Amino acid sequence: MLNILVCVKQVPDVNLVKIDPVTGSLIRKGVPAILNPLDANALEAAVQMKEQYGGTVTCITMGPDQAEEALRECLAAGADKAVLLSDRAFANADTLATSYVIASAAKLLGKFDLIFCGKESLDGATGQMASQLAERFDASQLSCTEEILSLDEAKKTITARRELEKGVETAQAQLPCLLTVEKTNYHPRIPNLKSWKASRTAEILRYNSQTIPGLDPAQIGDPGSPTKVPRTYPPEAGSKGVMIDEGNLDKSVEKLAGLIREVL
Amino acid sequence: MKNKSEYRDMWVFIQHDGKTVEPVSLELCCETRKLCDAAGEKLAAVIVGELSEAELDKVLDCGVDKLIRVSGTGYDYLNVDAYANLFTVLCRKYAPSAVMVGGTIFGRDFAPRFACRLPTGCTSDATELVYDANTGDIEFVEPAVGGKMMAVITVPVMRPQVGTIRPGTFKYAPTGKREWSVIEETVDFPVENIRTRILDFLQEETDESLNIADAEVIVCVGNGLKGADALPRYRALAEKLGGKLACSRPVFDRGLLPYKLVVGQSGVVVKPKVYLAFGVSGAINHVTGFTDSDLVIAVNSDPDAPIFNYCDYGLVGDMDEVCEMMLDRS
Repeated sequence: MLNILVCVKQVPDVNLVKIDPVTGSLIRKGVPAILNPLDANALEAAVQMKEQYGGTVTCITMGPDQAEEALRECLAAGADKAVLLSDRAFANADTLATSYVIASAAKLLGKFDLIFCGKESLDGATGQMASQLAERFDASQLSCTEEILSLDEAKKTITARRELEKGVETAQAQLPCLLTVEKTNYHPRIPNLKSWKASRTAEILRYNSQTIPGLDPAQIGDPGSPTKVPRTYPPEAGSKGVMIDEGNLDKSVEKLAGLIREVL
Repeated sequence: MKNKSEYRDMWVFIQHDGKTVEPVSLELCCETRKLCDAAGEKLAAVIVGELSEAELDKVLDCGVDKLIRVSGTGYDYLNVDAYANLFTVLCRKYAPSAVMVGGTIFGRDFAPRFACRLPTGCTSDATELVYDANTGDIEFVEPAVGGKMMAVITVPVMRPQVGTIRPGTFKYAPTGKREWSVIEETVDFPVENIRTRILDFLQEETDESLNIADAEVIVCVGNGLKGADALPRYRALAEKLGGKLACSRPVFDRGLLPYKLVVGQSGVVVKPKVYLAFGVSGAINHVTGFTDSDLVIAVNSDPDAPIFNYCDYGLVGDMDEVCEMMLDRS
């Protein structure tokens, strides 16, 4: 029986985030918070492993209370348990502090054979959580997994095909192993009505900085985050290109085609 | 803990396969050289294993002051366990102020890991590096929140400042050799402690269509794309122009095209002669992926789309219609 953990994040749908043209700040109001899309692929891979080898899939996230919604989405899509780590003291955490809190809380839930997480988040997009979580869990790492080929429970190994820059690698890693997956083979499933309904009322395990034993306050939230963001600013607007308008589309396209021909 | 001013020298990890050095490692040497000049620090290249004279020359040409040459067990193939250990050991011994690692898949796997172990701060995908003389910190500047704004990231207290940088972000513009010294290090990592084994490696069955970094022409589709059915005409146009099809991040998020075709900060940096953007909104994290193109043409039905601020020529119109018309003319 496999004990599987999936680390997920609720993110603002950044494609819908707008910038206030006057203040240059982000307008988050009315922007829906969604389950990070690549986390849904990670969850799907985890659920497929459970279906094939048996076991339990636990989803864990750190975030505000409303991140519960992302967990319910995971429960609807095949997760068995959900854990929410929420505390004001966790706020402003970078990947180092976040991975610390998640790994510390996960210790309360048992030992995991497989840990999945999304390749990167839609908002922060550092893509660093996977390797830092692997470090915190003292796990091996298989990033960019295109397909999990087999798992040997006796030998405690997992074999997977990875899509690398110059080719496809078949690699074997010892458990516990942390994996990130490609989308190709792990499209998130659409929950059926029954599982969706069940997810609405399912219990969600909650922890805060007081209920995770031994949590070092110096390693969480802002104090535990070595990277800082001293300032942000709107991107340089660039300079407006020459707009082509020859009166009708046909002529305009002809002009464009001519410009391209000149260069090639 | 040491005071941060006691950490000196900026390091670049030289990723290679025994034959050639990854271009991104050379790009980082050149860019880090500038930071070292600004900071009055030395540039060190960390090379694990053997490298030919010619390849070594390319590294030295970037103005490297020190070579840290590592030998030992555990480095026969790139693996996170041995390399994360190596950099933990080396950083503790030599206390560099910064470690730059190419944002290859391997670099992104092992750099955040040793940063976590040290521990220190790690940044990824900066598109600009600036040395701040007042604080002594490197400013890692990068597009954030889907490219809606630029964020300055620093590691103000801890050292080293670790950064992974995407291939193609900076130029390989060697400034020439300087006098250099060599430090020989042996760090053995027990082979049996490597937790991943490579069973097989298949060179990409030359699906050249997925290799967009060096394409001369790129036809890029953005979120304006109606769906998978609309794709063939763009692929056809790319082919007709002797180029490749690419996309912006949302198209990948929608599952329409693979990750290897994503142009931008968290994808591939391209520098074609012609960059044709169809239905691309122009978020800055995408824009940073094509700024070195010779000619940028944008087609978008929204006259206010930001992409028109980052192109040489713009055309307001339906992307599919324009593409069809261009097909007829190419």
